[in-house]
Amino acid sequence: MTTTFEKLRAGDAIDGPTFAVSRESIRLFCDASLDYNPLHLDDEYMKGSFGKTNFGGIIMHGMNNFGLISRMITDWAYPAGAIHRRLETRWVKPVRPGDTIQPTGIIKAKQVTEKSRWVMIDVMVRNQTGEKVATGEALVEFPRDLFCQ
Amino acid sequence: MAQTQAFETDFWKDANLRKVWDDIVPGEPRKTIPYTLTREAIELYCKSVGETHPIYFDEAYAKTTRYGGLIAPPSIHILLMFSCTPADDWMRSPGTVNAGQSWSYNIPARPGDVITLQARALDKFIKRERLFVVHDNVFFNQKGDVICSGRGWTIRPI
Repeated sequence: MTTTFEKLRAGDAIDGPTFAVSRESIRLFCDASLDYNPLHLDDEYMKGSFGKTNFGGIIMHGMNNFGLISRMITDWAYPAGAIHRRLETRWVKPVRPGDTIQPTGIIKAKQVTEKSRWVMIDVMVRNQTGEKVATGEALVEFPRDLFCQ
Repeated sequence: MAQTQAFETDFWKDANLRKVWDDIVPGEPRKTIPYTLTREAIELYCKSVGETHPIYFDEAYAKTTRYGGLIAPPSIHILLMFSCTPADDWMRSPGTVNAGQSWSYNIPARPGDVITLQARALDKFIKRERLFVVHDNVFFNQKGDVICSGRGWTIRPI
């Protein structure tokens, strides 16, 4: 069923892709993002503490969550002719090699402005045990001159 | 040209040249470098997060869309943040922890775009013994159009 602004209701769900996190996926994200912070590379370094926090080993980039949420939003928006306009996220828990994560979205509200139409979406990423690892919100524009892809 | 030099992947190198929390002045512009976004860089980024939409890969398809050609995913700013900043930028300090980010998207980046960044620390504060810096960033294409703008909260290494 094609998503349209008119048909969307608060509470409608968007399912994102599952993503298996491994040392290789984290290394690939280093190469793709040029973020070679040792948090994501160096197990020896990660034995140390960061203030009160000890991660115990390398962790996935927080922005990998962001990229997955963004992928979910654009894959949902493009076929509807809609445009991903904003994403805000906060990291709640670290993600480690061996975890499987999945972003999801829930339509929160719709808004019509003078020149366009907007959908606000609560987003989150959960790990394989259902724990939230990231939360946030997205804003998608449904222009009146729909150009479906 | 700076952008043709090999990217230094050892973030410990030059770590002593980078500003610590105490040195960072909110409002002071960060040094940035122009970066030419390539199709290969977009495809590598897509691979890292599993993006498969043809608008990023298939030129013939992309021409039929609203955008009239290949584009990069909105979240390509994740790469641009590092490709548009020099090795002594404090964002590369080992142990920098990203606490969250917010980004607004205007127009897509495209392969071949020469992208520039205007960036600064906007704020710094201490909360629960953690040293925070808020950074503020705007990416432009070669025509001066805003691609996206965003803000991030980082916890600085102690």
